[in-house]
Amino acid sequence: MLVTARLRPPDRTVEVADVERVADLLAKLEVLPTTVLVIRDGDLLTSQDRLRDGDSVEVRFAISGGG
Amino acid sequence: MAMRCKRCRGPVVIEVRRHNAAFCRDCFLHYAGQQVTRAIAKHHMLAPEDRILVAVSGGKDSLALWDILLGLGYQTDGLYLSLGIGAYSERSKQFCESFAAERGARLLVHDLAAEQGYTIPQAAAQAAKAGTAGRSSCGVCGLSKRYIFNKAALDGGYDVVATGHNLDDEAAVLFGNTLRWDTEAMARQYPVLEATRPGLVKKVKPLYRLAERETAAYCVLKGIDYVIEECPLVAGNTQMRHKETLNQMEEASPGTKHNFLFGYLDKAAELLRHAEGAELAECSRCGMVTQAPNDPVEAPICAFCRTRARLVERLAEGGARPLPIAEVRAG
Repeated sequence: MLVTARLRPPDRTVEVADVERVADLLAKLEVLPTTVLVIRDGDLLTSQDRLRDGDSVEVRFAISGGG
Repeated sequence: MAMRCKRCRGPVVIEVRRHNAAFCRDCFLHYAGQQVTRAIAKHHMLAPEDRILVAVSGGKDSLALWDILLGLGYQTDGLYLSLGIGAYSERSKQFCESFAAERGARLLVHDLAAEQGYTIPQAAAQAAKAGTAGRSSCGVCGLSKRYIFNKAALDGGYDVVATGHNLDDEAAVLFGNTLRWDTEAMARQYPVLEATRPGLVKKVKPLYRLAERETAAYCVLKGIDYVIEECPLVAGNTQMRHKETLNQMEEASPGTKHNFLFGYLDKAAELLRHAEGAELAECSRCGMVTQAPNDPVEAPICAFCRTRARLVERLAEGGARPLPIAEVRAG
């Protein structure tokens, strides 16, 4: 089971093995779930959504420093 | 058991942990619009006949705000201020232009370098030279935006300036002000600032009830393209550090940011606003409203005019070469 995660910003791509759900992926990436959106094929995923082998997902940080 | 939408019991696309809720696409968009409607109503932010200038940066918050206000039927134009941050500013402007063109909305574009004689990277170069003594580039950026948004609204006859400050922004600013017990700054932090005298335009923050993850989700669900990359000058700024701290607390205890901000607004903001009412005067250089100097003999000069004069003077001396972006980030 291998998932490709594109994290941005800044833009970088990592492969993560053995993750069943989105929550597992974020835990492995050490990313706080309330700071990102996880997107697969244009659809938002929740922390409980299951991932599939070969999935490509975007982990998009929603935190910005302007103001 | 699979999560169900709090409103319609359908399959969900997003969780909002601080409300112990999850929503399907349509109910989330309804929720987002409802939060903005509640903010507007509670603070009497906007009237149907108001001409509203929405300050847009090309980011998720301001474009979501503009979209929601258009959807609610308000009369809105957008204002994009080019800060001169290289390709980042160009891309940001393009997102604003595309958004406006797709909706047949009017976008005003102002340019800091052309109109005021400096860019934010040049301000960053000055800040790097000055060390801790000068205003940071983010500080100059915020000051420039506030000044130019107000002036553009006055010049264009707008009733209100609307900005995309969200719950996270407001909580982080309040956190920073509280850590310093900067009660003057706290007194100015409110979802609506009325035009209390000529030269001031009313300012509103209709997104203050929405977290920034929610404004990002709104854009994804509505197909709004926005600039995802972060401003290259913002890395490590104080507000980002405060957001990181608050997000750690939020993870352990959902609702922390909401309770911190809303508790302040409900229980303390009014007290501080009365206690810290600053005396105002007209800037002797530009005529805009500013804080009156302590010495009544001294001519009032606003922070924008002072900062701009200092920057432009040093540029004329050749001392403010804009730092390459990588150099700025490393610093």
